[in-house]
Amino acid sequence: MALVQRALERLGTPTVSVTVARDITVACRPPRAVFVPFMMGHHFGVPGNAELQKTIILAALRLVAEARRSGEIRDLPYTWNLARRGAYTGES
Amino acid sequence: MAPSEQLRPDLWTTVNERYPGSMIRKSDAVALATLGVPLERARLCFVSSAGVQPIGTLPFDVAHPLGDFSYRTVPSNAVPSDLEIHQLKYPSAGATQDLNVIFPIERLQELVAAGRLGSLTPQFFSFIGYNMDPVRFERDFAERLAAAVHAQEPDVALLAPA
Repeated sequence: MALVQRALERLGTPTVSVTVARDITVACRPPRAVFVPFMMGHHFGVPGNAELQKTIILAALRLVAEARRSGEIRDLPYTWNLARRGAYTGES
Repeated sequence: MAPSEQLRPDLWTTVNERYPGSMIRKSDAVALATLGVPLERARLCFVSSAGVQPIGTLPFDVAHPLGDFSYRTVPSNAVPSDLEIHQLKYPSAGATQDLNVIFPIERLQELVAAGRLGSLTPQFFSFIGYNMDPVRFERDFAERLAAAVHAQEPDVALLAPA
């Protein structure tokens, strides 16, 4: 996906990806990414937690406006353990 | 543990032994494009490698040893019951219960309705992340998909590499 992201950014569209595999993202160097330490296949959180899903989306999009250097990876302050236990039910 | 300590230094060796040349590294930075409008007015395109596709479209080939170098368009006004997943390489238990954990189409629709985002491109895009020919992927597939996304005229693109 990072190669798609790099190609898209070169065409002039600002991009951000949500990754759960930080090391792969470091290696592939997309223009911008946010990292969440969630289980594969659960990038936006857990089933039924719409607020967390929206929070992840908005946090990723904030980086589009705020990133100052290409390749920035922002670590988001959420854990899989707390997400699974039902935390993060309010948008933050 | 600092996030950088999660690096798995042996991963590339292991995967490259099985699929030579498949794990790529990039050392050059791509110049940042600029978001030209506030998010509240921005038109967003979502791109996923989770193998999500409209029911009735040609299923992704999850059995081919080199993967599937095609993509599907997903109407941004679709609902989860219109969609299905053809992908084997990640745990889809959560997505089976709530597709939004990997393909947050309802959340994006809600953010537009709430005025947090301007609009969505008519089409989103989906493919499978299992592609074991990185040269073909970079030179052909990535360029084709990026051009198709760009043709939707998004102000910003959100990508979820499954």
